[in-house]
Amino acid sequence: MAKYEVTKLLDVRGEVCPVPDVETKRALKDMKSGEILCVWIDYPMSKERIPETVKSLGHEVLEIEEVGPSEWKIYIKVK
Amino acid sequence: MVWTGLLVGILFGIILQRGRICFNSAYRDVLLFKDNYLLKFYTFTVGLQAILLVVFAKLKVLVLNPAPFNPIGNTIGAYIFGLGMVLAGGCASGVTYRIGEGMTTSWLAGLSFGLTAAAVQRGVLSFLREGITKFNVFADHTSGIYMHSSGATLADVFKIDPLLMAIIFAAALWIYTFATKTTKRETKMDWRLAGVLLSALSVFAWWTSSHARRIYGLGITGGWVNIMNVLTTKAKVDWIGAEVLGIIIGAAISAVAGKEFKLRMPKNPITYVQVMIGGALMGLGAVLAGGCNIGHSLTGVPLMAISSIVSTIFFILGNWTMAWILFGRK
Repeated sequence: MAKYEVTKLLDVRGEVCPVPDVETKRALKDMKSGEILCVWIDYPMSKERIPETVKSLGHEVLEIEEVGPSEWKIYIKVK
Repeated sequence: MVWTGLLVGILFGIILQRGRICFNSAYRDVLLFKDNYLLKFYTFTVGLQAILLVVFAKLKVLVLNPAPFNPIGNTIGAYIFGLGMVLAGGCASGVTYRIGEGMTTSWLAGLSFGLTAAAVQRGVLSFLREGITKFNVFADHTSGIYMHSSGATLADVFKIDPLLMAIIFAAALWIYTFATKTTKRETKMDWRLAGVLLSALSVFAWWTSSHARRIYGLGITGGWVNIMNVLTTKAKVDWIGAEVLGIIIGAAISAVAGKEFKLRMPKNPITYVQVMIGGALMGLGAVLAGGCNIGHSLTGVPLMAISSIVSTIFFILGNWTMAWILFGRK
């Protein structure tokens, strides 16, 4: 299971738009280069928008893993 | 002909759900995430609808009915609506279609929105609306495609033919749409496809709604008020009430089919309080403004109605204010 060495897990399932996006941005700001953030979401729009926002900030999206019905984990490597 | 409202609503709900169309996001993403994906959808469909509506009106299929300008409602009311949609986690259409996706916060936001809208429309708060309606400004249209006692459009302001005005208006919007860079997004329905489908639906909605003696296109707020009336009095479901029910049904069908239906609940229950306050501000603001982001921004702006253009500007200002307060500060 431990595919990546996740530094921080951000569980934002059930949160209203755009809390998942904002929390992701805030978490990334406090992390060091090379660390891995895992964002756990259940809203499809977040799955589509967060990776693009993260990429535009220069971070790397390692994987978007489907972990359940309408649930995903986005693994992000901090630049 | 009320059933046509249900049909339009179901189609609308599917497009909203697949296209992830939320004006709260469209306005806010530009500011917060420098993401213009949904704004591009918006400017594209507004231009297309502007031309289609005038063409069908000239063919005498439709009679256009731009909302009267109200200097207080279209500014203060619209601003209140803009503040509310950020708290509610979605605009009027966003909250409505997410109800069908199983977003429990939207259930409460929607109820609060509908209840407050009904209270301002015909209940205990109706004095607010009555006080503001006095300031409505009606236009003397030079073109015969508009209803009597409706509001001014850009064509009236510039005193040119509505079709020429629509072409200029659409060209300006499309230059922005296609000549500037669009944010990428992996999605189930491309924004261009969503824009074309929605523009076609908008014309169809106007035509069917007119046959049910409601001379307007797509909307949300009036539908919620009707649903509240039906629930609490012996009023019958009307076209727009059926349309709102249809949106919820269509979004639910689309979400289930796309394996995206889920009962979503936030961990912090205070979120429910936040969305209910947001819904109430939206209900108050939408009725004072004479429409929400669908009635004004998606339908009225394509009519080039001054009321809708001003309201949309104030929706955006309210949206940006609250987005900055909640999410923008470091």
